[in-house]
Amino acid sequence: MKIMITGATGYVGHSLALELAKQGNLVHVLVRDTHSVFIPNHPNIRLFKGDITNLPSIKRAMQDCEQVYHTAALVKFWEKDPTKFYKANVDGTNNILASALESGVKKLVFTSSCGVIGSSIGEPLNENDPRISAFDNDYELTKFIAENMVKQYAHKGLSTVIVSLSKVFGPGIETHPISVNRAIKHFIEGDITFIPLPASYISNYCFIDDVVKGHILAMKNGISGEKYILGGENISYLSFFTMLREISHVKTKLVQAPRLAVHLVVYLQWIKYKLTNADLFFTAKAIRHIYCNKAFSSQKAIDYLGYHFTPLKTALEKTVHFLKTNQHEQ
Amino acid sequence: MNNKKYTLITGASEGFGKALALECAARKMNLILVALPGRELYYLADFIKRNFEIDVISIEKDLTKVENCSALFAEVQQMKIAVNMLINNAGIGNTHLFSEGSVAFYQKQVQLNVIATTLLSRLFLDMLKQNGPSYILNVGSLCSFFFLAKKQVYGATKSFIYFFSKSLRRELENDHISVSVICPGGMNTNTSVMLVNNKSSWLSRMAIMNPEAVAPIAINGLLKRKEVIVPGVLNNFFLMLNKLIPDFIKKFITNRQMNTLKSIPIESQQYNSRPFIRLAASAIS
Repeated sequence: MKIMITGATGYVGHSLALELAKQGNLVHVLVRDTHSVFIPNHPNIRLFKGDITNLPSIKRAMQDCEQVYHTAALVKFWEKDPTKFYKANVDGTNNILASALESGVKKLVFTSSCGVIGSSIGEPLNENDPRISAFDNDYELTKFIAENMVKQYAHKGLSTVIVSLSKVFGPGIETHPISVNRAIKHFIEGDITFIPLPASYISNYCFIDDVVKGHILAMKNGISGEKYILGGENISYLSFFTMLREISHVKTKLVQAPRLAVHLVVYLQWIKYKLTNADLFFTAKAIRHIYCNKAFSSQKAIDYLGYHFTPLKTALEKTVHFLKTNQHEQ
Repeated sequence: MNNKKYTLITGASEGFGKALALECAARKMNLILVALPGRELYYLADFIKRNFEIDVISIEKDLTKVENCSALFAEVQQMKIAVNMLINNAGIGNTHLFSEGSVAFYQKQVQLNVIATTLLSRLFLDMLKQNGPSYILNVGSLCSFFFLAKKQVYGATKSFIYFFSKSLRRELENDHISVSVICPGGMNTNTSVMLVNNKSSWLSRMAIMNPEAVAPIAINGLLKRKEVIVPGVLNNFFLMLNKLIPDFIKKFITNRQMNTLKSIPIESQQYNSRPFIRLAASAIS
């Protein structure tokens, strides 16, 4: 079967493209740079030069494809030019949806983020839970707008499914300056690791292998117009790193940083940005995203897609092994 | 009969109403949530039930229709439950020239912002008297103090709310009903408003607050029986400036402000409209 993937040079899209290719599908990947080091290499993968903001290039890559996985997005806390978020995440998604409907694609899976659902109070959140705080960054806002477009296309006759990922980690390419993988790497290499104070804030972590399988399950079993959380275990920052310490046998120092201290660092970084124009990784608004609970329930995906998630300990063991040896055993 | 007391919130499914609902839930107040027919109301009610130990009743009503105000009251009466806090939050905003709005739009806007608030206050009056000490919170707007272009009808309806609340407060003092009016500035209430807020000037962006930050100020003020609640330091500062600076300067400032704001087509006031997103995205740049 011919399958198109956008975002194949991204962390999730890369692994997904390889998995689908391994299963014997002919995978069309739309990439901006055909010489990117992040391009997935497999005989079943065909490269198409283009961009999700360029319709003709989408159409070329999508030709004869029965399925589309739209994983491409601009994922950042901050971008100097916020219209980039709208162009990539909103207009780009619209281009993919319109082309898919036009070219007779049978089903489309859209990769989104649990960030759209927001932070939790006590109970883990499900797909329908309301946001308890307003959107405060263009990434989540544009993904939310894109999700609504994806749902609308389900009414227009294109079969669409949304999958929402929590904090993804595990063996794969490293494309972002801030990632769970990078935090794990620093920790096992002995760099002092800062975690929020109190360290009892809960987050949800999902393993890349589960996420890849989850995408394929969503394509197979997902009901059009529906959204499924592909998550993992809910665990506090402290328990997460305690578990990691036991697995990796390191004695790295964990420092619980008060919110105020992080604010200070962020402002210093902002001054640096004003002086040197160096890219910001983090913003004052983003601090709120770390100092809160983000517990999610994957029950809907488990019940309706057949999703399964690897126990966190096993997943972390595999990740640590990968980060130390650069080898991933599945 | 259930002897619990309930707080009724209109327009509870999104934006400020949702934030008020969550704030009241956190304070263990039982809730009657009223919103337009749609799934969001039930999702919110379900979320509140799972996270807080309170009673939540959801009622779907389109309050832009007069008969639905009476129907809402009848429904509450039938359930034999006591309301001791009424929050008139539902409202329709606008940011466009008067000529750009249709007759039907203004009719709906006045109906919801003015008539529904008046009718519900009247309908629930005896119930509030019986279950005192009671509270009425009306949601006004900071813009009723500034005569902004493109906010003509909206601002006028909020001026009504302001006058109505202050006047009613004097009448109901002896009935143990405290009437408060909250006048928030810009809030990130829904996606279309957020996109507009994003492209405002630096100073007005600074003054924009998130509904979840305004909600606790609102409920605190209400319970402290404050007459007028203005959330936010900057908003209070604007209000103070407004009293101090001469009219011609104000005119200059507000004109300049409104000229930078593009009109939002009415049909696009829902966030999921494509043309609007394009417009907003291009306007941000």
